[in-house]
Amino acid sequence: MQMLDFKQNYFQLFGLSAEFHVDKDLLKAKQQALLAEFHPDLFVNASEQDRRLSVQQASHVNEAYQTLLNPVKRARYLLKIKGLELNDETETTSDTGFLMEQLELREQLDECRSNQDPIACCEEISGKLKSRAQQFADEFVTKFSTEQYEAARQVSRKMQFIYRIQEQVLDFQFQLEDELA
Amino acid sequence: MSLLQIAEPGQSTAPHQHKLSAGIDLGTTNSLVASVRSGKAQILTDSQGNALIPSIVHFGAERTLVGTQAQELESSDPLNTLSSIKRLMGRGIEDIKQLGDNLPYQFVGDADSKVPRIKTSAGNFTAVEVSADILKVLANRARESLGGELTGVVITVPAYFDDAQRQATRDAARLADLNVFRLLNEPTAAAVAYGLDQNNDGVIAVYDLGGGTFDISILRLHKGVFEVLATGGDSALGGDDMDHAIGEWIISEAGFKNVDAFLSRKIMVAARQVKESLTNNAFTDILIENGDLTWQGQLSRIQFEELIKPLVKKTITSCRRVLRDAKLDKLEITEVVMVGGSTRVPLVSQMAGEFFDRKPMSDLDPDQVVAIGAAIQADILAGNKADDSMLLLDVLPLSLGIETMGGLSEKIISRNTAIPVARAQEFTTFKDGQTSMAIHVVQGERELVSDCRSLARFDLRGFPPMTAGAARIRVTYQVDADGLMSVKAEELTSGVQADIVVKPSYGLTDGEIEVMLKASMENAKADIAIRMLKEQQVEARRVIEAIDAALIIDGEFLLSAEEFNQIKQDRDMLEKEIETADTETLKQLIKSVEKSSETYVARRMNASVKQVLEGKQIDEVEIN
Repeated sequence: MQMLDFKQNYFQLFGLSAEFHVDKDLLKAKQQALLAEFHPDLFVNASEQDRRLSVQQASHVNEAYQTLLNPVKRARYLLKIKGLELNDETETTSDTGFLMEQLELREQLDECRSNQDPIACCEEISGKLKSRAQQFADEFVTKFSTEQYEAARQVSRKMQFIYRIQEQVLDFQFQLEDELA
Repeated sequence: MSLLQIAEPGQSTAPHQHKLSAGIDLGTTNSLVASVRSGKAQILTDSQGNALIPSIVHFGAERTLVGTQAQELESSDPLNTLSSIKRLMGRGIEDIKQLGDNLPYQFVGDADSKVPRIKTSAGNFTAVEVSADILKVLANRARESLGGELTGVVITVPAYFDDAQRQATRDAARLADLNVFRLLNEPTAAAVAYGLDQNNDGVIAVYDLGGGTFDISILRLHKGVFEVLATGGDSALGGDDMDHAIGEWIISEAGFKNVDAFLSRKIMVAARQVKESLTNNAFTDILIENGDLTWQGQLSRIQFEELIKPLVKKTITSCRRVLRDAKLDKLEITEVVMVGGSTRVPLVSQMAGEFFDRKPMSDLDPDQVVAIGAAIQADILAGNKADDSMLLLDVLPLSLGIETMGGLSEKIISRNTAIPVARAQEFTTFKDGQTSMAIHVVQGERELVSDCRSLARFDLRGFPPMTAGAARIRVTYQVDADGLMSVKAEELTSGVQADIVVKPSYGLTDGEIEVMLKASMENAKADIAIRMLKEQQVEARRVIEAIDAALIIDGEFLLSAEEFNQIKQDRDMLEKEIETADTETLKQLIKSVEKSSETYVARRMNASVKQVLEGKQIDEVEIN
């Protein structure tokens, strides 16, 4: 079996340049081309060792794909390549305006429960979050491309917060739907 | 027997290189097995042409019956006749209590096991063992139809099955002594069956409502790649629930009190018939007779639809959710495919059609399409189509998380992540000299661990003792292509691998499976004897067929009357004994036929070689 070069970073693995904007179609095409070489289905009759290797390599390809597909993970990964690691546990943002905004969003989400149409209420919040996410992504590109990495890191934290709330909204919608069903 | 492989000159003997494989749809209500023969996927039927094997097992004092024979005993011996067993796969006692009142069985716990056992007069059995009995029958049907041992099988599972349910299915296959190439998600299998048939690219929604499970998957088909974009559903929602809704309606209309196991089964059997009848009729009559109790009534399709509307609505909620997960708009779906027997209910296809705003496709038999897709995949995995570039890319149906402080679940791998996938996390020790740690893995979308499904507790042991905070323990969560999770752990500064003790929350431990395997050894001996006999019978039929075909062509031409009669006599003797003789006798009889036709075979070879050489220039003849 041919082996992937695990020393390559994910952008190199997919033959993409290390920047925030990625061509999603190209990303997907490259993922599938790699899986067409390493997917465990191609090794069902192979030795135990090769089967294990194929799971490992296909997993690596999928992990790389997920990282580059998701804008928040991609931003953090770019910073990591530049030697700036983020630690979820210890780092918070000190931008009080942003903190206030987050608190408000969470409150709005709680209020959706008593709304006449809770699902529509969630979707409205999702819309707001989406445009905020876009703004921060643009800001990240500006900082990152001009090598202001520390500033880019600040922005990536905000992206992360927004992403978390987006996830919460989805989970909340999930739960609401279960309750309504 | 190779001499009797009387192939025409120049014709390949390729069927011999074809590795036998099968696709198995292990369903809640019915099961099927299919295989690719001469390049075409076919459902394998019994001698009467029945495709479906009811997923019902009867445990009698004498023997175990599976399928139609077991189904016939459903009403007369309900406690020993187990049906819809798939609903219990990977489930614990508490889960079953929730399904509770619908199940007529008596469950017995075992202090040492998390897996509930059903009490029958032949002993106590887990859902895994019952499923293994069904798998054995399916595999035997395949062996008999195909005339040989299977190199491997693909077994389908609902896409929405969690880790415990998948593991239980794997365990059942292990007990049935089957080599599983892959657990394939049912909607993906259906997409393969449709996709290869239509050979078109696009985004398809597979709506799969079976007897006990509902799945909705969105797949993108592009150049032989089947990529699952998102999957969702309900692993405890299906046609059974429609039957129960009708059953409850009957009980309340008839005013039945004290419904025992016998009456309950009768009502359920009637309910199933009512549901099926209302597919084509506007009304149906119902008659329940139980001892001196008799009740007669009528149900209209409109009433029935009112009863099941809440169930169908639940499926539409899942459809909406899965579209959101796939980040797609309804309009981007190019095709909606209906799978599973319950999609025959008119309200189901109507509501699904309304939601997706297009007419659902059901060109292929919704009962058979999953097995067909599985057979296609099994054939490829067996290595029969080296140049076929089909690739099935699946996703994790439910998020994996670990329990953190305060009983919260921290997501490690989110739902709809492409699999296989691995993710690592680093931990440190919080006590001096700490050498072990425990990780509780759960599956589900909710924040509280108590709202998710517990998968397993992993005890990681054997780290070198260090001061608190010095150790760097990397825990890797691996999900394989079957959607099954494993965990490994390593202390990075010392490179020491942890010993891992897995305590599955609902599954069988390796030890329990060993015990079951041993117990089934005795049965297996009998099974092997039967299988060998069946194989000899298949072989005998093949020999007779080959002889007959040859004799018609050139028997009288190449043989003296005496030789001809000797072969004929041995052949007739074999045919006469085929159903009654034991394995050894059959073997001898086959040998006699081979012996008496030895000269004949040699003459045929010569004749055919001559035929090839005649009319050819010398330089056309290859000399090896």
